[in-house]
Amino acid sequence: MSLVRNWQIGRSMSYWYPESRPRRQFAAVFDVNKCIACQTCTLACKTTWTSGKGQEYMLWNNVESKPYGYYPLGWDVKLLEKLGPQPWEGKQYKGRTIFEAAEAGERALGWRPAEIDYAHPNVGEDDCAGQQIVDGAWYQVPHLSWFFYLARICNHCTYPACLASCPRGSIYKRPEDGIVLVDQGRCRGYQECVKACPYKKVFFNPMTGTSEKCLACFPKIEQNLAPQCFLNCIGKIRCAGFVHLPEKADPENPIDYLVHVRKVALPLFPQLGLEPNVYYVPPLHAPLPFLEQMFGPGVHEALATYRKAATDPDLAGLLALFGSTEQIVHRFKRRGETMYGYDDRGHEVVKVPIREPVQVLTSFDPRRGVAPANVT
Amino acid sequence: MAPTLRSLAPLLALALACSQAPQRPVSPAEVRALRVAALPEGPDDPAWRAAPVHAAALLPQDVVEPRLLAPSTVSLEAQSLTDGKRVAFRLAWSSPGHADTVIPARFSDAVAVQLPARAAPEAPNPMMGEAGLPVEITYWRAAWQAMVDGRPDTLAALYPNARVDHYPFEAASLAAGSPEQAAMARRFAPARALGNPMAGPRPRPVQDLRATGPGTLSPSEQQVSSGAGKATPGGWAVVLVRPLPAGLEPGKRSQVAFAVWQGGQGEVGARKMRTGWIPLALEGGK
Ligand code: SF4
Ligand code: SF4
Repeated sequence: MSLVRNWQIGRSMSYWYPESRPRRQFAAVFDVNKCIACQTCTLACKTTWTSGKGQEYMLWNNVESKPYGYYPLGWDVKLLEKLGPQPWEGKQYKGRTIFEAAEAGERALGWRPAEIDYAHPNVGEDDCAGQQIVDGAWYQVPHLSWFFYLARICNHCTYPACLASCPRGSIYKRPEDGIVLVDQGRCRGYQECVKACPYKKVFFNPMTGTSEKCLACFPKIEQNLAPQCFLNCIGKIRCAGFVHLPEKADPENPIDYLVHVRKVALPLFPQLGLEPNVYYVPPLHAPLPFLEQMFGPGVHEALATYRKAATDPDLAGLLALFGSTEQIVHRFKRRGETMYGYDDRGHEVVKVPIREPVQVLTSFDPRRGVAPANVT
Repeated sequence: MAPTLRSLAPLLALALACSQAPQRPVSPAEVRALRVAALPEGPDDPAWRAAPVHAAALLPQDVVEPRLLAPSTVSLEAQSLTDGKRVAFRLAWSSPGHADTVIPARFSDAVAVQLPARAAPEAPNPMMGEAGLPVEITYWRAAWQAMVDGRPDTLAALYPNARVDHYPFEAASLAAGSPEQAAMARRFAPARALGNPMAGPRPRPVQDLRATGPGTLSPSEQQVSSGAGKATPGGWAVVLVRPLPAGLEPGKRSQVAFAVWQGGQGEVGARKMRTGWIPLALEGGK
C-alpha cells in the first residue's frame, strides 16, 4: 500500500500502487438535469462495442432512474451498506475509502454481483420517491416526489479499484490520457475487477473468458473526437475533455472551469476514494441529503451556482457548448452573446449562441382563430 | 499374534473385495514417479494401480492478496509415472459441486502442477517462482475439459434459455462462414482476436504456463502438455502429462507443487488451495 493524494476527498489515502498520474486525464461532465433517459447513449455504445457473443448483458453505458434504478441491481447501496456510515468534515472526508476498508485478504472492499443482478437493466425506471401523491395534490416546488436520471460510464478513475484488484496487472491506465483498459491478451478472467469496481463498470465475457469494460472510445479520443455516447446524446448533457489537478486548473478548459473554477460539477461517490473522472452537475430537484451522499459536500455550492446559470453568461454559454460538436473542446471563450470552442491547437471548432431565439406564442392566435397546442 | 492375523486374513480379503478398493502403494514423504514404458493418457488406465499415492496436504494461499482465508480442499491424491522423457501425474480430489462452467460470478474447478523450470539444488520460491528462478505450470480446468468433451462453443451451451435477436456479424449480407464474417465476429471478441485462449474450442483441456513470482503467470511459448480429466462420484481425477523440465532425468530428484481451485466456492486465480514444494523422485534405470 502507498500513500497517495486524492483531491476529491481533501486528503491523502492508501492505495495499492504509488501515485502516478497520466500526462493528461480524460474526463467528462454530465449535466444530470438535461438527461431525458432516452438511452440513445446506451445504444450508441452497445452498437459500437458490445454486440458480440458473451456481451449481450453488458451495458458499458447505462442510464438509471435514481433512487430505485440500478445496473447491476443495488450496485451503489450494497457497497454503501458494507462500508457503513462514514463522516465528512467540511470538504475533507474523515471516513474510510474502499481501499482503507478492505477486508483481510482483499485489496479493496467490494462485492460480486450475482447473475440475476444483471437481469433487469431498467429496474426502477421512472419510479418516484418522496411523498405519496394523493388525490387533490397540486403542483408545487419543491416537488412532492422526485427522481432523476443518472447516466453512467466507467469513470476512468485516477485510482481505479479494478486495476488495483487485478492480481495479474492485466488492467492498465494509459499514461497519455488516463483511460483505463483491460489487456485482452493478458486477462485470465478472475473477475476480481468486477468485484472491486464500486461502479460495476467491468463485465465478464463468458464467451471470451475475459473481463471487458468501457474504453472511452479511445480510438476517437486519439483523434480528438468525443466518444460515441457523447456524440449521440439527445439531451446534449455531456462534455468530454481533460481535467487537471485543482491547483493546475486552466480556467479556459471547459472541464477545469466546471469542476475546479465554478465547482458546479462533482464526482460520483468521491468518498469511495477512486478519484473518478466523470463529473456530474447534480439534479436540482432531489433531496439534499441524498445528493450529498452521492456527490459529496460540494453539492450545495454546485446547485447554488447552477441555479443562477441563466444569468451567468460564461456558465450558460459553456453549458450550451455541450454536445454541439463531435470535436473535443479544449478551450472556450465567450464573445458577447456567442460562445466559441477551440481544439487542442487553438483552431475554432464550434460557436453557439448563448441564448437561442425565443418565440412566445399567445394562448390564442386571433389571426387564425385558434388556440395553439403544444403537441410534442 | 501370528495365528490370529492369519485367521483374520480371509476376512480382510473379503472386506477389501467388498469395498472394491485394492490396496494401493503409498508414498507418504514424496511423490515417486515410477518408470514405465508408455505413459497412460487417462485417469482410469490400469498403469496407475502400481504408482504410489502421495496424499498432499493443501494450504490456503493466504500470503498474497487476494488471499483465500478459509481452507476448502484439504488434500489431494497425487501419483506419478515417467517414461524417461515425460512425466505424468494423476491427481484426484473431492469437489462435490463439479463446477465446470465459467460465466459471470461462477468459476470452474481446476488443478495445477508446478515444477521448477530447471531442476537444480536451489529451488524457486514455491509460490509461483521468483525472478531468475522460473517455474513451469501445467493447468487443467474442468470448463476446458467440458469443451474438449464436446460442449459446443455457443451461448446456448451456457444459457440454454437465451434468445438473441441479432449479432451484426450474422447479418444476412455476410455469407455464413466467409472470411469476412469471421473477421467481423473476431472484432467483437477481442480476447479471441488476440489469441487469448481463456474460452472457446481447444484441442486439450490444459495450458502450459510459466511464472517468476505472483502476478507474472503467462502462457509458455510452446504448449507441450496434454491431459484428461474425468468426474468421479465425489470429485475429479485428472491426468497431466508434460515433458521433463530441464535438468530432470530418470534417477534424479526435483520438487513438485500442486494447487486446487473449487470453482463452486469462488476460487480462482490467487484464491486457491496449494502445497509447498514436495520432493519429487524419478525412478531410474530401464
Ligand atoms: S469506474 Fe470501475 S472500471 Fe472504471 S476505472 Fe474506475 S474502478 Fe475501473
Ligand atoms: S443520450 Fe443523453 S439524454 Fe439520452 S439517456 Fe443518454 S445521457 Fe440521457
